[in-house]
Amino acid sequence: MQTSIAERLNLRSLNLASLTTPVVFIAAIFIFWLVSPEHRFTDPRNLAAIAKLTPDLGVVALGIGILMICGEFDLSIASILPLCSYIFTQLLIAGVNPFLAFILVLPIGAAFGFLNGVLVVLTRLPSFIITLSTMMFWRGVLYVVSGLMPISILRYVPSDSAFAHMLTGQVAGIPLQFLWLLFLAVILGIMLHYSKFGNWIFATGSHREAALAMGVPVSWVKIICFMIVGALCAFSAVMQSARLGSFAATQGIGFELRAIAAVVVGGTSLMGGVGSMVGIVLGVFIIQIIDNGLILSGVPVFGVNTFIGIAIIFFVILNNMTNRQFASE
Amino acid sequence: MNQSNENAQPLLQMRGIHKWFGRVHALRGVDFDIDRHEIVGLCGDNGAGKSTLIKVISGYHRAEQGQMFFEGQEVRFSSPREARALGIETVYQDQALAPHLSVARNIFMGREPTMALGLMDQKLMNDQSMQALANIGLHLRSPNVMISNLSGGQRQGVAIARAIHFKAKLVILDEPTIALAVKEVREVLDFVRRLKSEGVAVIFITHTLHHIFDVADRIVVLAHGEKIADIPTRETTVDELSDIIVRGTYGD
Repeated sequence: MQTSIAERLNLRSLNLASLTTPVVFIAAIFIFWLVSPEHRFTDPRNLAAIAKLTPDLGVVALGIGILMICGEFDLSIASILPLCSYIFTQLLIAGVNPFLAFILVLPIGAAFGFLNGVLVVLTRLPSFIITLSTMMFWRGVLYVVSGLMPISILRYVPSDSAFAHMLTGQVAGIPLQFLWLLFLAVILGIMLHYSKFGNWIFATGSHREAALAMGVPVSWVKIICFMIVGALCAFSAVMQSARLGSFAATQGIGFELRAIAAVVVGGTSLMGGVGSMVGIVLGVFIIQIIDNGLILSGVPVFGVNTFIGIAIIFFVILNNMTNRQFASE
Repeated sequence: MNQSNENAQPLLQMRGIHKWFGRVHALRGVDFDIDRHEIVGLCGDNGAGKSTLIKVISGYHRAEQGQMFFEGQEVRFSSPREARALGIETVYQDQALAPHLSVARNIFMGREPTMALGLMDQKLMNDQSMQALANIGLHLRSPNVMISNLSGGQRQGVAIARAIHFKAKLVILDEPTIALAVKEVREVLDFVRRLKSEGVAVIFITHTLHHIFDVADRIVVLAHGEKIADIPTRETTVDELSDIIVRGTYGD
């Protein structure tokens, strides 16, 4: 009788108990609706643009969120993503069917993640250092092999082709990128919150030694989470290439920190063990909404980062406050 | 005849256990027995070899010399998993539970019951968790309470309930009362008595002699990797024991 509704619905496991993120999400929409000239922010065309552009970072951030819940970071996404895009492009040039190339590049992305995971597990160094190194390593490799030249893929994947439609088309006016992001979020969310492996991810991030003592294969949990990130980088890389119609060596630049920012804004702990899929998705959109809303409201493009910086600090403080309140209940 | 032999044998029997860490001789020919329904207090100063001994029992370390028998069978564990499979569970202070996960998810951590597609059977986990906690006399509001919201005593209770739920025959408690308030210590000691009445053998490690005196049937003292005392609790006193521990020898 004493159990609260949240507990009865098992919402605690979804971490919805901390309502900060959803509230700020709605507040951000409302504020930018209010302050953008002629309410341009909520113009359907602008909302469609947000829905189309956010998933590039969003798809990768889903993986980063899961990885951070298990207690690790991955900065190398900024290089794995364009490298996957380059490999995809080379496969197309070699005459591989785009659908097949897409399917091939996913395990290649996962293999980059596997390497990160194995290095982190074997060296026991902080993943921040390992993936900083692999980020620089792969970016160097990419710059050398690609010569920094963009490569058009429109010959192989015309913008009206079935393949381009599958990733970047529209259904009832909703950009497919957005639906892909939601689809992946639902699948990964079910895995994270309701599967045995998901419990292992939280256990590993919350208390590695306890998880190990209870027979959770923590090293494999971490390696698999790195592989999920890698595969999502590959997914995002192909989706972005399909939208741009080309490979560009600048793809993914800055994603490493923006993904962490989005995930933290979504209520994920930097120490591991805490986070939710709903929060991660909202976090990505909050970052994008702040970005987009500020530009529409007349803030110079290059000044936007200042506000995102402020927003991150604001969020972490807010999340800490609400978490403490729940802990002391 | 074989059958009666097995019943007469202690649950766990260790003979001449030696363990080295490089040049450090951590255990020097230790004999150690424990019977079903028995609570043994394991004491000794820091570095006496207590944790090395329990890590040998629970499969974290392998003894270089000596024999170990569990339920009459000789065993050589190469991992904690093997020890756990036979019913030896270790409950480490502050190492056993993930603070951000619910009680139910902690009890089933690593052994989650699943349905199709690897999805957890949460209803089963919740029901069995509440049952397991009730069995040791711990009544929580809900199986979805996060561990970080529990008191230290309640956390030990969850860890102990988990051990019995998975049919442990021998539970090793490593400093279960350290850093607990007086009321919580009493709670934990009650859990330990509950374990005994369920037929589980308990090895109870502690620095606080008063805590084991309340519950232990027998007390074993280690010093410098050797067993220096093995006395039924009713034949000794706290003062005598602390004297043995401080001097590092028994007798004269």
